[in-house]
Amino acid sequence: MTQRKRLSNVQSSSQSKRQSNSFMTQEEDEDATFTQPSTSQVQRGLEKLTAAQVDQKTAEVVQYILVKDQKKIPVRRADLVKHVIKDYRTVYPEIIKRAMLTFEQVFGLKLVEIDSKNHMYVLVNNLDASTARPSPVERPSNPKMGLLFVILSVIFMKGGVVRENLMWNTLKKLRVDPGQRHEEFGDVRKVITDEFVRQRYLEYVRVPHTEPVEYEFRWGQRSDMEVSKAQILEFMGQLLEQDPQSWTQQYREAHSTASSSQASSSNHR
Amino acid sequence: MRKARAGGDDEAVRQNGSSSRRRTDQHPGDGEDHDSSSGGVQDDDDDNDLGLRREIRSKYRDLINSVQQNREDMLSPSNNKLTEVLEEANKLFKDVRQAREAALDAQLLVVATDLGKEKASQLFSEGSAFDPSAFAEHLLSFMGLNRLEDEDDEPPNGCASDGYLPKDAWHRLARRAECCFRTAPSFHYMMGSFYTEPPPPKQRIERQRKAPSKEAKRIMPTQLKKMEESHQEATEKEVERILGYLKSYYQDDPSPISYYEFVIDPNSFSRTVENIFHTSFLIRDGLARLKLDSDKLPCIEPVEEEEVEAAGSFSRKQCIVSISPKIWRVRSF
Repeated sequence: MTQRKRLSNVQSSSQSKRQSNSFMTQEEDEDATFTQPSTSQVQRGLEKLTAAQVDQKTAEVVQYILVKDQKKIPVRRADLVKHVIKDYRTVYPEIIKRAMLTFEQVFGLKLVEIDSKNHMYVLVNNLDASTARPSPVERPSNPKMGLLFVILSVIFMKGGVVRENLMWNTLKKLRVDPGQRHEEFGDVRKVITDEFVRQRYLEYVRVPHTEPVEYEFRWGQRSDMEVSKAQILEFMGQLLEQDPQSWTQQYREAHSTASSSQASSSNHR
Repeated sequence: MRKARAGGDDEAVRQNGSSSRRRTDQHPGDGEDHDSSSGGVQDDDDDNDLGLRREIRSKYRDLINSVQQNREDMLSPSNNKLTEVLEEANKLFKDVRQAREAALDAQLLVVATDLGKEKASQLFSEGSAFDPSAFAEHLLSFMGLNRLEDEDDEPPNGCASDGYLPKDAWHRLARRAECCFRTAPSFHYMMGSFYTEPPPPKQRIERQRKAPSKEAKRIMPTQLKKMEESHQEATEKEVERILGYLKSYYQDDPSPISYYEFVIDPNSFSRTVENIFHTSFLIRDGLARLKLDSDKLPCIEPVEEEEVEAAGSFSRKQCIVSISPKIWRVRSF
């Protein structure tokens, strides 16, 4: 009932749809009806809506993203527009801006666009992890994080790319065999090459010109945002009883990307 | 130095195929007198030849397997196992005559050069090299691996070492690794969502209840009807009775009667409540009127019969009367 009221207020929606159809070739198929509106369009759109309406829509977006993030699969802009934003697409940038503010100020989370080509968002913890001690709240730990940690560490220490054979051999030493069902992780191959990849923690790409087909592992876009290379190096140093600085290349990489990855997260079209 | 030599051999072979090695080896091979049965003579006994062929192929396969299984060992810069493998292969190659063995030799070379490339990349990187197998071993200790006292030196399948890994091994690692991740905690409603299970049992209960009631209706229809009527009648009778009292008091003394004096029964709280209840019906139907007297206390008086019809035009006001045992005890006099 309230939706019909809102429809009558947003009069500019038909205009923007006509405009956006001409740009259809630039977007992907599912995103065909949505182009990023210009700032003047956003201004005009905002004038036609009350503050309460925009706040309501912002709240809906926040809730949608929070629930979608449970499975850690990135939120696609196309889905967001289709299911939540709907007729408010002219003011989409404003809504996203407010949603980001809400996440930061209310939840201590950061909404980050990890893929500016396909427009996907993830939620990352905004709290300062370096000063945080182990959480006083007893949270049940997820063993898959341990597995992911091993994989990411090996990739990082090996310079960013690892052939899948090396990965499987290393994991076999830890009693994780892709050919056998693991009692903790189940279908290991599926978890690593499918689930972690869909969550954008890993990239599993084919190496060109290999016969039989071989794949290699790299860090995924989510890992670039979420995982601290410096912390991995610290743990590595503790585990192997070496000074983290003895791995000079990795050390350099860990302490230079720490600042740049956080800076890049704030950019979004 | 030794590594470079091995690399050099590989490069030459890769460029020209395996035949070039045969050319380079034949010169020293003619000089050496290792295997009388195969040295230069092409047409031996068929049986010997077949047996030797099989032996060579199986040795090649062993070499390939050992390189693949012990890859991590071979990568370690602390040994020269790779060079030893290549020297073995060199020796075997001298006896190779047919395409099948040569193919296996080529396969061994692919595997070995891959390893060589890996070793070379380790050389180029500054700082200490990273050995995944050492990493794995340390991880196992961290996760609480209980190594048995009599473990073998080299496990036959090259996989996990002996020992018992506790059930919470991965949890322990995950906990330690948490600090490396800036994961947003997942959002869940605290009380979860409602379950949809109740409906099926409820249906069963309803059906059970319906069955006996139907029978009951059949057996005693007349009695039930009587019960219902008496309920309604009871209320109406009470209301009329109270109206009668009110009118009779008013006739004796045509002034508004104190409301509380009217409804309160000094001996019974429940009776008092019932009186209030029945009086409210009178007021609702416009048969009595409540107003505040000079002392701001409520009083009640019956409405004249002519006034009852005109009363519809007046605006009705509502009020809520409440009474509790405490107040009733104070009030009863």
